[in-house]
Amino acid sequence: MIRRFTAVLAGAAMLLSAAACGAKETPPSTPGTPDKVTAGVVAIVDVAPIYLGKQKGFFTEQNIDLTLQTAQGGAAVVPAVAAGTYQFGFSNSISVLVAHTNGVPIKAIASGNGTTGNATADFSGLVVKDPAITSPKALVGKKVATNTLKNIVDTSIKELVKRDGGDPAAVSLVELAFPDMVGALDTNKVDAIFVVEPFLSAAKAKGWKVIGSFAALDPAMCVALYVTSQALAQSNPDLVARFTTAMKKSLAYAESHPDEVRAILGSYTQIAENVRQGMTLPKWPADINRASLDKLADLIVANGLTSKKPDVAAVVS
Amino acid sequence: MTSALRRAAVFFALPITLLAIWWFASAGSTDFLMPPLAKILEVFPETWSRHRLTHDVAPSLIRLAVGFAGALLIGIGAGVVIGSSRVVRLFAEPVLEFLRAIPPPALVPIFILVAGIDNVMKVLVIISGCVWPIVLNTVEGVRGADPVLAETCRSYRIGEMLRLRMFVLRSASPQIVTGARQALSIGIILMVISEMKAASEGLGFTIREFQTGYQFPQMWSGVLLLGLIGVVLSLLFRVAENRVLVWYHGQRAAARVSR
Amino acid sequence: MTRSRHLPSGAGCPAALLGLGGLATFALLLEVLPRAGVLPADYFPPASRIALALLDEFGQPAFREALGDTLLTWVTSLAIAVGAGIAVGVAIGSTPLVRDLTASTIEFLRPIPSVALIPGLIVLLGTGMESTLVIAVYASFWQVLVQVLYGVADVDPVARETAHSYRLKARHRIRYVVWPTTLPYVMTGIRLAAAVALILTITGELVIGTPGLGKKIDVAYSSGDVPSMYALIAVTGLIGVLANVVTRRAERWALVWHPSVRGESPA
Repeated sequence: MIRRFTAVLAGAAMLLSAAACGAKETPPSTPGTPDKVTAGVVAIVDVAPIYLGKQKGFFTEQNIDLTLQTAQGGAAVVPAVAAGTYQFGFSNSISVLVAHTNGVPIKAIASGNGTTGNATADFSGLVVKDPAITSPKALVGKKVATNTLKNIVDTSIKELVKRDGGDPAAVSLVELAFPDMVGALDTNKVDAIFVVEPFLSAAKAKGWKVIGSFAALDPAMCVALYVTSQALAQSNPDLVARFTTAMKKSLAYAESHPDEVRAILGSYTQIAENVRQGMTLPKWPADINRASLDKLADLIVANGLTSKKPDVAAVVS
Repeated sequence: MTSALRRAAVFFALPITLLAIWWFASAGSTDFLMPPLAKILEVFPETWSRHRLTHDVAPSLIRLAVGFAGALLIGIGAGVVIGSSRVVRLFAEPVLEFLRAIPPPALVPIFILVAGIDNVMKVLVIISGCVWPIVLNTVEGVRGADPVLAETCRSYRIGEMLRLRMFVLRSASPQIVTGARQALSIGIILMVISEMKAASEGLGFTIREFQTGYQFPQMWSGVLLLGLIGVVLSLLFRVAENRVLVWYHGQRAAARVSR
Repeated sequence: MTRSRHLPSGAGCPAALLGLGGLATFALLLEVLPRAGVLPADYFPPASRIALALLDEFGQPAFREALGDTLLTWVTSLAIAVGAGIAVGVAIGSTPLVRDLTASTIEFLRPIPSVALIPGLIVLLGTGMESTLVIAVYASFWQVLVQVLYGVADVDPVARETAHSYRLKARHRIRYVVWPTTLPYVMTGIRLAAAVALILTITGELVIGTPGLGKKIDVAYSSGDVPSMYALIAVTGLIGVLANVVTRRAERWALVWHPSVRGESPA
């Protein structure tokens, strides 16, 4: 009886320990051998520079052996970076600011991507099918799709409606993944969608109208950031500085070589060749636009995403 | 009296021990992802306020109830048909296995196209996952029915409906109940999965919102609530099971007494 | 109803042929519905286009690698879940007190959706195979455990008492009394667990980003490559069909003596 009971306990313990025994290796910093680091990214257009930089050897020349791991969303990447599972990671700016404000120990080290500066030709777009809707204000009382709630897209939709003179609270926002949006609008499940490339191209191909975008909100919006943990920034500032240098070089290279960007997208996404050639790419500024982050921080508080205002200086310092 | 006390003690002993271990192991934890249990319990009442219970938890539970009921109807119906005929079973089985192996998150986009983004889509997701253990167990139950009794029914030319009700469903019911029990816990999981995409309210949606908003104590309080709902539903299920299977348990008890 | 056990209806029609007929009918339906406009063809391509995308995938080494990753994760998780499920189930189920003590905890832990564990797992284990493995084991373990518990409870009380009277050793009691009754339940449990482990392996790859078919589904999905996405989903369905064939064979082999199988074994 007692033996049997111990067996039960052992079984349960085994199950639990399987979940608990996480191995977190810190990258070894032996002189001469390159630092092995892992960066968590999302397999979307925005992260093309890091793939391109790795291919061009920009990380190797900084003595960094970079491995890229894809996660399903930036929200999963940030905690993993904070805990040291990844040394670096990519996530959208609002996620980063909210995480930092809620006590997740991370730090932004490089710009992710930015808007194109052209409100009607951005990589993002608020799209409607009904020709009667001509501006964001008309979305009051309508069903609008956002990829997630309490994040960058729905915050932007609300702000666009507000600036146009409408009541953002009267817009019915529903969550829908980017890939499902075009189909949902086509079959009239929603009245408007906010999509990014490559789905924006698909929406435009339907002849639908774009009535807003990230760029309409802020021509130089810093949409996403590369982050590291505060622990790594303190314990190995040299590695973080070298990663930032390689990242900046990758961003600048991607910005000036759009053809190579379109080519490398074929390596980690399955976006069709003709769509890759035709779609609008985001901007990849080498430096973090702090003024843009300040504006986002204001929107975060105004929309109640956090109780206190994010400390932008502390995130990017 | 003492037996009720004893049963309560047995019911609560292990959970309380585990909670105590969790409490002391997590006390003083500064890991942002694993907050102390004390903190999780502290935020529990404010997080699951009356408003959240009526606006998020209740809709989820209603969808779960509708989906589970739908899965029971479809599952038992399909199970009896498939289980009673070898030809139907061999014909349908590969298709059913094909559909069953498809992960529910991959089905969500299709259901959105067919049923939109509201309750119907979420109920369909719940049914699409819950139905399998019920179908499979019903098929097994119908197949495993005592051949002698089946022959007897046939010899006496007992009518089809009566045979179905008195013999087929009866003899399959212990297995059907097993399937329904599994379906219930799968249903709770699917209730969460159905709110992973295209949601704006619900228990699963709220937990995910806490997760993506980095409010980890609140997120864990939601996971605790899910577990509690699981226990309550399981207790309700046991009550229902005892009523449905009263003859079966009676048979067992009788055999035990007459030793 | 003129069915006889000695001459099963459709005996002239081999089982595999009937099954293939079922799949063919299903494929035909998926071809016709989008073409007839019942399903929007832009977002749900007809079966023939999915088949073309599937052929295309088969030719790529990346696909074969992903398939291998998925199969490895799946089989590993199933083996762990079945082993642990049987051991824990028999141990708990054989002693009423232990069974009662653990019942509430099992009911509490079981419905906690493995998807809720994902953020924690990514932090603890990263996005490699381990995370997906834990999710798949967690979900499929309960399938086996619950079946085993039901099976052990189903042991004929008379047989149990008899074994008791004869003072059979625990080892022998399990081997000769508990096991024969439990085995059909275990086999059903394995079959359920095989499907659940497969679903959770793919789901884990999809949601976490572990290399495998699920990740390829997600990449196709987030790239707007609809035919490839459905082609990859179809592959997971086909793995499910094969898994069922294998587990059925195993069941038949293990349960030759049981009524559910006996009635149909060809003479």
